[in-house]
Amino acid sequence: MPLLVKARSFLRNLFFTRRVDADLDQEVRSHLEMLVEEKIRAGMTPAEAQRAARIELGGVEQVKIHVRDSRTGAFLDSLVQDVRFAIRSLCRSAGLTAFVVITLALGIGMTSATFSMVDGLIFRPYPVPHPGNLLTLAGTTHDSMIEDFSYREYLDIRDKTKSYDGVIAYAEMQAVGFSAEPSATPRVKGGVMVSGNFFRVLDVEPRLGRGFREEEDQVPGRDAVVVLGADFWRHEFAGDPGVVGRTVRLNGAPFTVIGVAPDSFPGLLTFGHPDFYMPLAMARTFSTNIERNFFEDRDDRELKVKARLHPGTTLAQARNELSVVAKNFEHDYPNVSRSRGATVYTQFQTRTTEDDNWKFGVIFVILALAVLLVACTNIAGLLLSRARARAREIAVRLALGAGRLRLIRLLLTETLILATLGGLAGIAIGYSVIDWFHSKESIIFLTELPNAIPFQMDNRVLLACVGMALFSAFLCGLAPALQSTRVDLVNALKSADADLPGRKRLWGRNLLVVAQVSMSLMLLTGAFLMARGFEHSLLEGTGFAKDHLLMTTFDPRLIQYNAAQTQQFYKVLAERMREIPGVQGETLTQKVPMDQDEPDGVTFVPDGFTMPPDRVNFSSMMDTVDEGYFQTLGIALLRGRAFLATDTAEAPRVAIVNDHFARHYWPSGDAVGRRIRLDSNTGPLVAIVGVAQTIKYQSISSPIDFIYLPLAQHPVARMVLMLRSSGDPLQLVQPVKDAVHSIDPNLPMLQTRAYEDYYLAEAVRAPQIAVDLVGTMGLVGLLLAIAGLYGLVAYNVSRRTHEIGIRMALGAAGSDVLRMVMGKGIALVAVGTALGLVMGFGLERLMNSMLFDSGGVDVVAYIIVVPTLFLVTMLATYVPARRASRIAPTQALRYE
Amino acid sequence: MSPEQTSLLQGTLDLLILKSLRAGEMHGLGVSRRIEQLTGGTFVVKPGSLFPALHRMEEEGWISAFWGESENNRRAKYYRLSKAGEKQLEAETRRWSRISLAIGQALEAS
Repeated sequence: MPLLVKARSFLRNLFFTRRVDADLDQEVRSHLEMLVEEKIRAGMTPAEAQRAARIELGGVEQVKIHVRDSRTGAFLDSLVQDVRFAIRSLCRSAGLTAFVVITLALGIGMTSATFSMVDGLIFRPYPVPHPGNLLTLAGTTHDSMIEDFSYREYLDIRDKTKSYDGVIAYAEMQAVGFSAEPSATPRVKGGVMVSGNFFRVLDVEPRLGRGFREEEDQVPGRDAVVVLGADFWRHEFAGDPGVVGRTVRLNGAPFTVIGVAPDSFPGLLTFGHPDFYMPLAMARTFSTNIERNFFEDRDDRELKVKARLHPGTTLAQARNELSVVAKNFEHDYPNVSRSRGATVYTQFQTRTTEDDNWKFGVIFVILALAVLLVACTNIAGLLLSRARARAREIAVRLALGAGRLRLIRLLLTETLILATLGGLAGIAIGYSVIDWFHSKESIIFLTELPNAIPFQMDNRVLLACVGMALFSAFLCGLAPALQSTRVDLVNALKSADADLPGRKRLWGRNLLVVAQVSMSLMLLTGAFLMARGFEHSLLEGTGFAKDHLLMTTFDPRLIQYNAAQTQQFYKVLAERMREIPGVQGETLTQKVPMDQDEPDGVTFVPDGFTMPPDRVNFSSMMDTVDEGYFQTLGIALLRGRAFLATDTAEAPRVAIVNDHFARHYWPSGDAVGRRIRLDSNTGPLVAIVGVAQTIKYQSISSPIDFIYLPLAQHPVARMVLMLRSSGDPLQLVQPVKDAVHSIDPNLPMLQTRAYEDYYLAEAVRAPQIAVDLVGTMGLVGLLLAIAGLYGLVAYNVSRRTHEIGIRMALGAAGSDVLRMVMGKGIALVAVGTALGLVMGFGLERLMNSMLFDSGGVDVVAYIIVVPTLFLVTMLATYVPARRASRIAPTQALRYE
Repeated sequence: MSPEQTSLLQGTLDLLILKSLRAGEMHGLGVSRRIEQLTGGTFVVKPGSLFPALHRMEEEGWISAFWGESENNRRAKYYRLSKAGEKQLEAETRRWSRISLAIGQALEAS
């Protein structure tokens, strides 16, 4: 009941304000009159009675104000007043308002855009119901904290653990040949092989048809069924509901469409949305590694495993259980599982262990936050000067009896409005930056495979924006609000400028300038370091020739070639290429250097090498290439020989390693002639026949071990053909097409382009964007710092015009004034620079530990950044100081 | 008015107003005089505290207001205790006795 009464009075107060007020007015007045009557009755004269009654009442208006403040909804009422007042006063200084809003918008926009990266890479939950209890089960080795499992291992984990309500496995298949009709030329699409319980455990209900049944994952090769992704279904089948039951071809084999995944489930991959899902039991159709038996080989590890934690089970219990399972693997299968552990990760742990992309995001966010901080300090400085200009207005309000808290609230409301506007504009900027990430211009990814950049404005990012806006409002507004309400009333009312040269008061502003200078120094250093880091890793030379190269990719599995046919095809292809005029060299390679895909890994044991007791093998990156590789790419062979046509499948197995590898394992002797065993100490014996120059394999990476295996001895289905041309490599496209057509008209050529273009896009554009982003932030920070410094000095000059006039009248020269005014600025800049250097070193260490690991301090960056910053900020103090030195004493003394 | 005094009054003012209105409906001045009388002149409630309290209590639903005629045929706003107000008075009384008992004991202890 009381709640109802309260609600009624709240509504009454809100909507019948006038009547409520008239009522109150009458009540207080009648009270006053009754008081007067009472006093007259007690014997006072009417005049005395009036006076006494008024004293006792304490003022009609004051009583009414007290009542109003105690009413339900009084807060809201006064808030509306505050907002109205604030908007009026902000409109009066439109220029300042615009500047503040734009500054804030830049800060918030940048932070939100960069935060959307971190959000997409780390925080966004899996798109399934109850994403929190979906954990990642991963293998661990000496070299890696997150490893896939093999099919056999997955089955054991699924059957031997009790911590979970369902354990799923899946493997991403980046290139699957898809054709809706048997006669159509297959196109490359991305699919995911999943365990039969995938949709059931994830709690994803297909929008059409059904998900997989458990029995569809029992017999290898029996159930050729496929579930389409929602986007794919809409694009390829125009959203046709009749698609269920149709037959499509995947890698040439017929599959029956049994369902379509819902829009709410774009898959579990961070990058990319799968076009379709196939059961794991159909792995032979999609196998990437012809040599391996997916269903039997315990070390054919291609599966990512996730599980729903059983309610009531803790993460620690699950971890213990899984590590016991891994121990049993080690015991039961020492050859393939020795020194392999297993652990359970939460989503956050998974995403931060999987790859390093998120680190860029985090560094961007740190830098963007620094920009926001600079913006905030700038705005705080501006508002401080404004508050001082308004000191008299505020003094009048205080004198008239306005409460200090109420005034602080009013001033905070103003900044809150500014922050709201800035926040909205910032969100708009964030949206456009994210849009740009998605647009064609940014071309972070050039592959033809479906790639979804996971950056978007979702609720978490918006929430972060709101948080940042509120935080900024508080940061910018509180100090000025507190200070301006602490004025000395008498002085403030008397003089036009309430600001007495109090030491304490200037302290705050000086601090702001120091913070700005140091922060922008840090930002600029960061931008420089990042730019130089990339430059360093790119321009120091990749170790191979990038020009005059044409690349195109083949995957004969797309048209159902078996291993023998594939081998034959590549043999014929190489011969045909040599016949094309203008081709100076040709090679086949599994992977082109410097793209964004991680090279394949290989494990091995150097023959005759005593392994440390706790490890069973070493690992290295690898590539499969043919005889022409080193010559065509211009990679120097330091010792030994290249692969030869005589290194056939029947010949003794051979390998070429890079210089880094050779020094790593045989620091004192020659690697040529040594032998290694692939996989483990029972694996095939391979002789090292050559040592190649270490080149750059991936964009930002330090030199790594690398092994090359000959295609003839290590068959791979999907290969890239690279041709060295005498002229424009693109002129070779048509002859190559004709040649391929004459071998098999159905075989598609994928990603045909000049290698140099590909290299620029993959290895140069993306880092360039990162550098530009950080550079922009540094520049914005610097501009803000300049504006802040200029504002401070200019303000000081205008405040001291009178004083300077007196000094000059007493004989001070212009240069003395210049020195006096600038001295302060220089001192601030110097302190800020020192602080910024410390922060810059900190940032460099952080970036080194996360990204480049160049080690040491990049002196050049500081040599360039520090003097530049110093000069520019000097200029910002010089301009107003010069104005001060030209003050005409007669004018200044009349000034006021 | 110093903070201590305010907080002391805050607790007791509601109680005193409710107690005064127990005797029957009255206007603001009546309540104020009644409190002076009840407390032997210890508490003088100024309109600046009285009216906010009355309006707040009305919004709480403890008292209800209506316009009436004063002794001198003047239009005045009268307040009357509601059912909820009576309950509140009982509760406040109990609370106050507990407090005063406790404070008394505390002060008597050596």
